Order: sequence, then C-alpha cells, then structure tokens
Amino acid sequence: MLRQLIRLALLLIAFLAAPCLADEEAEDAQESRWRLGAALGYGIRSNPLVQSDDIPIVVDLDIAWFGEHIFFDNGDLGLTFADNNALTASVVARINSDRVFFGNTDRRFVDFDITGAPLAEAIEFKPPDRDYAIELGVEMLTGGNWGALQLTVFQDVSSTHEGYELYADYSFGWRQQRLYVEPSFGLSYKSAELNNYYWGVTPEEAGAVALPYEADAGLNWHARFMVGYQLDRRWAISLVAEYERLNDEAAASPIVESDRVIGWFAGASYRFGR
Amino acid sequence: MMRLLALSLLVMAITPTAQADDMKLSVKPLLCITDNRNEVCEMSFLVVWESGERGYYCLFNDYGEAPMRCWNEEREGRLSDDRAVRETFSFWMTGTDTADRLAEVSVEVLRMDSDDRRRKRRTRHVWDIN
Repeated sequence: MLRQLIRLALLLIAFLAAPCLADEEAEDAQESRWRLGAALGYGIRSNPLVQSDDIPIVVDLDIAWFGEHIFFDNGDLGLTFADNNALTASVVARINSDRVFFGNTDRRFVDFDITGAPLAEAIEFKPPDRDYAIELGVEMLTGGNWGALQLTVFQDVSSTHEGYELYADYSFGWRQQRLYVEPSFGLSYKSAELNNYYWGVTPEEAGAVALPYEADAGLNWHARFMVGYQLDRRWAISLVAEYERLNDEAAASPIVESDRVIGWFAGASYRFGR
Repeated sequence: MMRLLALSLLVMAITPTAQADDMKLSVKPLLCITDNRNEVCEMSFLVVWESGERGYYCLFNDYGEAPMRCWNEEREGRLSDDRAVRETFSFWMTGTDTADRLAEVSVEVLRMDSDDRRRKRRTRHVWDIN
C-alpha cells in the first residue's frame, strides 16, 4: 500500500514539475553549471560482508551539473520542482548504494559450518551476489545558519528489491577562513523488502555455511566528520571519517560479519574551473 | 653580427625597464574565503614592497583612485591595511607615472557556499568537500 502511494506521489510530482523544463533558463554567469573535481589520496571503506575485501579509495571523481531544474550529481539524476527560501525539493533517480559491498567478495573453501563445527569435507562458499537497483524518490533540502538538513524517500522502480528507504542527514559546517570542519549525522530506515533482498539469504542460496535468513525492516544510523583546508582557489586537502551502524536485522544476517561500516579518506582535491 | 643584433633586440624586448623589474611586491594573505555566514572578509593585509633603486613610489588598490600611500626617496616600505572585502581585488605599485604599474598582486576572495542548496547535497563521496 505504502509503495503504491509513493509511486503515485512520485508520478504526481513528476507531472507537476514537467512545465518547469520549458522554463529552463540561460546559464548563470555568476556560477558555473558544472562542478568538476578530482581527489587523490588514500582511504578505505570497510565491507561488513563475510569473505569480503575492504573497498580502497585512491582516486575519486566529482562530476556534477546543475541546471535551473535538472541536475546530474555523480550518478544521481534530478528534477527540481520547488526551490524557495524554505526548501529545495527534487525528484531524483539513483542507483542503490548497498550493492557496492557485494562486488568485493571472495570465493573461499570453508571447512567449518555456521556453528563453527568442522565439516567432513571443505566446501566452496561465496557470499551471494546482488543486483543494482534503480530507485526513484523525492529529496528535500533545507538549511540556514543552524545547519543543513537533507530528507529523502526512495522507492525501487527496477523490480530488484521492491522496497523503499527513508533517509535523513543533518550537517553543520563551521569555517575559519581556509579551515573547514563539518560534522554530520543521520538515520536511514530500510524497508523489509530492501533489507531482505540485500542482507537476507534465500533457501536456494543457503547451505552448510549460511542458513536461510529473512531480514525485516531496520534503522541504520551514521556519523561523519570532515576537516578541510583550502590551499588556494582550486586545491584543498581533506580528511574524512565516516561511521555507519547497520540495522540489527542486517547485522544478524549469516553473510554479515560486522555490524558497522567504517570509512576514511585523506588526500588532496582539485576543483576544475573555479 | 646580424644574429647578435637580433638577439640583443629580443632581450631588450622581453626585459622590462630596470625599475619595473626590480620592484617586488608581496601581500599577505593572498586568499580570503567567504561563505553564507560570513559574506564579507574582514582582514588585515600586510603589504611589503622593495625596489632595486631609491625613488618615488606609490601604493594603490582597486578601492580608490588616490594612492593609499606614497614614499619619497625610499627603496622599501610596508603598510598594514585593514579592510572588509567581498570580491577579488589588487594592490599595485607605481613610480612617478601612476599609469605604469611596476608590480601588482591580486588578493582572491573565494566564495565557498553556493545559493544553490543542491550543491551541498550529500553524495556518496567519502572525500566530499566544498
């Protein structure tokens, strides 16, 4: 029922926003539509899955374009239908980010079962694969001297997990000339369908190493701390640390060995065309 | 001989006058950052100049047509300038001919926050920075 309501709401918003496309205005001379950057450094994002590798971060590109109503931001496509002093609201299409962990798993021979008891014969085991999901949702941004708030709701429209996610993030940036510090934290509610698709184990996937498991809905929370120092107009150095606590339903899955995702990155970033 | 003459002319063409070449101007800081909370940069700029020869020199900036200060029969000088700025501007030195800039330094004012909230949206970038 909720899924149908969300789909209906998205269709309605897309319909209402359509006239905005015709009003797309000429490029703003004050600020480039493009935001192009690259960061070089080193960092890691931990992988909570069993038999998995952490995700290294060495080079990261930032490619974004912001029109009056349409925008592209590192893979996210958006259509802004409201922008005023209070908030900016957009319909956004994106690819689900939970899938990223499943691309960094290993196939290994295991000689013990789920309880830790030895197996008569070592068996081959690899955490099951998962597909990318295309999700459509609404994003609301607001902010002021008190900080910035981002609220989103996303629904799968690719019939992959058929679930939804509610997300909220609050950040507060503090600047002293070249030095910039930004702590942020937030919550992410994952529906049972989404949670179960990524973190559940189907009877077909189950075996001696992983028993069938059905994950219910759950709430993740995250915190992030960023320190940046602007060297000149284009170069900056930054240090970012991020902590995400998986919901209990995901953490209890037999294919999950850690209930947290820890990420950090230290490096230099360059902004083109500033 | 002709080659030597051509080389001499080339050297003369690319070498500024002795006075201009000898003038060194430095300003600290060179970068000032503003954002939505602090839209104006209130800074104290230290301007230091040094010339190869004594003379009459004046310091200008973009905020006035009159010189900020002139020095007579000096070969170096310094000035502290407290100023609130919103845009990139320049300091420059002249000699007796105020139309001839002997040395110029730009102070960049970099606005970090955008009026477009979407540019601050949280993406998947771990390093995400302004």
